[in-house]
Formats: sequence, structure tokens, C-alpha cells
Amino acid sequence: MMSPVPGPDKKTKLLVYTIEECPACGQKTKRAFAVGDYVTKEAAKCSKCGNSTRVSLVYAEGQKPSG
Amino acid sequence: MPAPFTISESDNSSRTFKSGFAASIFESPVFVPSSDVLQAVPGFDTSSLVTLIWIAFFALTFLYQTRIQSYLALSEISRGLNKLKVMKDKARKDAIDYLVNVGKAPNDPTQRVDQFLDYVTIMPVDMDPNGLVGKVDHVVTINNDRVRAEVGALLNQNNPVTVSISENLLEVATSLNQIHKIVRHFYLLGKKTNSYFTLVQLQMLMPMIIQEADALLNATDSFKMGQPVGDGIGPVVVSRLMAGKDKRVIAKDTVMAVTEYKGRNLYVLKADGPMAYVGQPGVAIQKIVGEMGVKPSAIVMIDAALKLEGEKTGEIAEGVGAAIGGIGVEKFQIEEAATKAKVPLYAILVKQSLLEAITVMRKEIAEAADKVTQVLNRVIEEKTKEGDDVVVAGIGNTLGVAQ
Ligand SMILES: [Zn+2]
Repeated sequence: MMSPVPGPDKKTKLLVYTIEECPACGQKTKRAFAVGDYVTKEAAKCSKCGNSTRVSLVYAEGQKPSG
Repeated sequence: MPAPFTISESDNSSRTFKSGFAASIFESPVFVPSSDVLQAVPGFDTSSLVTLIWIAFFALTFLYQTRIQSYLALSEISRGLNKLKVMKDKARKDAIDYLVNVGKAPNDPTQRVDQFLDYVTIMPVDMDPNGLVGKVDHVVTINNDRVRAEVGALLNQNNPVTVSISENLLEVATSLNQIHKIVRHFYLLGKKTNSYFTLVQLQMLMPMIIQEADALLNATDSFKMGQPVGDGIGPVVVSRLMAGKDKRVIAKDTVMAVTEYKGRNLYVLKADGPMAYVGQPGVAIQKIVGEMGVKPSAIVMIDAALKLEGEKTGEIAEGVGAAIGGIGVEKFQIEEAATKAKVPLYAILVKQSLLEAITVMRKEIAEAADKVTQVLNRVIEEKTKEGDDVVVAGIGNTLGVAQ
């Protein structure tokens, strides 16, 4: 679920992302934030090595113009 | 309908004194508004009339400028006040909706929420400042416990994340309610007493007040979703050090873990996430230095700091001293503990605006986490040696940041 929040200038909407990081190989995956996500939460299996990943960051970013 | 000053030509005796006087003026050649006559008066022409009007205009503006300014200030404040009212109503509604929809409040919480918004915390008297911090701490702790107990009673569940988010939403609604009330008080007072200076001061502050209220209102969106806020950057950095380590509760809502970095023992602490807590880092550090008998050679605090306009979001600043905001109780406790044990206090700050600190964490702030870790490692390496104990505290709201 994407949650647009007003950006600093009210025109650009911010979208919130969750970053999952694999502690074994360092592979990072960026996906849309889902309610219930939090930093250090266990996430999906790593696509590279199969280890279970953890949420390393949750942040908001300005929407890209292309969508 | 006869005009009031019409003179009956046939019957002069029926003239009253007033109408007779008026009639005599109207009949006199000077006051007949004819340009021929005006020009007939020496030194009086149309341009003089224009000049006269201008002089009158300037005189009036000069005499009544404060009145005019007051009027403009009143209308501007009134517009701001309406905005504030909309904001506080929205925050109240958001809180109630959250209590009902997510908190599954069994009964309609509206009445309790309205009582909550007007609840006051009376600060202790400061005429005799000796021991004041303890008293403030006592009052604030009573209030925090009360809030949690009341919110817990309102909800039909005891999920700590939901309870903590409800607490924060109610606090935002209370703050906005207070801001609206205070602005309204000075607006009405200025209007009633016609006090130019009250109104103009309020008018000057209004843009800043609206900005702050806007930031508070925006915070409700991040809180409802349980997203980490910009203020949570300290806990994010510290949570990485705590990952996989044994955690113990060291103070109310505050957890600590012991870890190791290049031969140093790190006592790492943060508020208990992913709840929207700030914890009691002051009590925690006092316990580590006191009860636990640890002799740290440095206390490093990582916190968000308000940036000045023009400074970049996510910029890192280093310093010395207790890096912690709030009303000052925690800061006092940390400073006292550090001074008593003669431990140097180091600060690592991540710059952000008020809006960024209380709304969902921006990318620039989140990406500063790696750099903060590097700075932290450097500080530990430079200021301490192998075998030393070091306290690392991640200060800030831990919403959405576990450990
Ligand atoms: Zn992997």
C-alpha cells in the first residue's frame, strides 16, 4: 500500500519505501511500504542466497516524474 | 417627500430656526457649489480643492494608521485562526478514527477524547529551583502514566504499538487544541481591548505558528501508518548495533544491549521499538554509570537536531554535550551522571527541519545512517582505547524502529 504524503513544497508527493537487506550477502531490495513494516523486522528470503532478509530502512522519497 | 431644508417661498414664518439657518447658508453665494462662484473667490480654485482633499487624506491616514493596521491584523489573524481550527478539528477526528478503527474502541471515545484534549499538566513552582528537575520529572511521569493508562482503557486491546500510536495522536491533537486556544485568546483580547501591539505581535508570529501546526498535523499521517519519523535516525543507527544481541529493559520503555567494537565494550541503548516511545535515556545512563558500576570512557549520543534555514537535510554535525531535546529532565540527568563520573559526552547530530523530524523519515535522513555509523566508529576509535567501556545512546522516537 503506497501512502503519498505531502512533500516539503506541497506539490511533490512523497512515497514511502521499505528497504530489505540481506545480512549474509548485502543484497538490497526496495519495495513499497506496507503497514506493519518496521526497521529490523524479518522480511522475505533473499533472492540471491536464500537467507532471510531484514528491513534495514523505511523512508520517503519524492515521486519520480515518469511515475 | 419634502427635502428637510426646502424653503417655502410663500410662507417665511413657518421656517424653523434650523432650516432657516440652513436656508440662509444655501442662499449665500459662497456655498453655492458653482464653479463660477468658486473661481470668483480669490485664491480658491479646483486645484486647491484637490490639495485640500490630499491633506485631509494624509491627516486621516496619519491619525488612524494604527486603527487601519489593527483592522488588517485582525483580518489576517482571523484567517489564520480559521486555519488552526480546521487543523485541530482534523487532528481530533484522526485520533478518534484511529481509536475506533485500529484500536477497536468498544464504546464511542469522542467524549473521553474531548476531555483528554483539555487535560492540563501543572508544572511545579520554580521560585526555589533547588530540586526542580526531580519535581518536573515527577509531574511529567505521572502525566505519561496517566495517558497510557487512559488510552489503554479506551482501547479493546493492548497491542503496545497501537497504544503508543494512540498516545501520540492524542498528544498531537492536544497540542493543536492548545495552539488554537492560545491564539484565539490573544486575538479576542486584542480585539476587545483594541490593543494595537497585541494584534501586531500576534500577526507577526502567525506564519510561524501555522507552520508549526502544519508540521504537527502532517505528523499524524506518519504516526497512523507506524512509519519511522526523522527523529528516529538515532534509534535506526543504534538498532543496527543491537541486532541479534540480548536486550534487557533498563528503564521505562528503554532497552539496552552490550556489544563489542574493536575491543571496546559498547553499552548500547534506545527506546523500545517499534512502539512510538522516546524512553528514559537519562534514567538508563544513570543506571549504567551508577547501579551497574560501569566506568565508561565516553558517552556518545546520536540524535536529530533542528537545522537552520539554509542548512541541508541529513547533514551530520559533531559536538560535545548531551544531545537530547525535550523539556530538559533527561538532559539534566545525563549531564549530572556524566559530570559525576567525569565522562566526556560526545554528540552526533543529523540535521532536519521540524516537519521532517516528526513526519515520515526522508531519504536524505535515512541515508545519513551509514555516515553516522562511520562517524560513530571514528569517534569511538579516536576517543577510547581497547578494553574501554563506551555508552552509545540513540535518542529519539522509535516508532517503526525495533532493535
Ligand atoms: Zn543474500
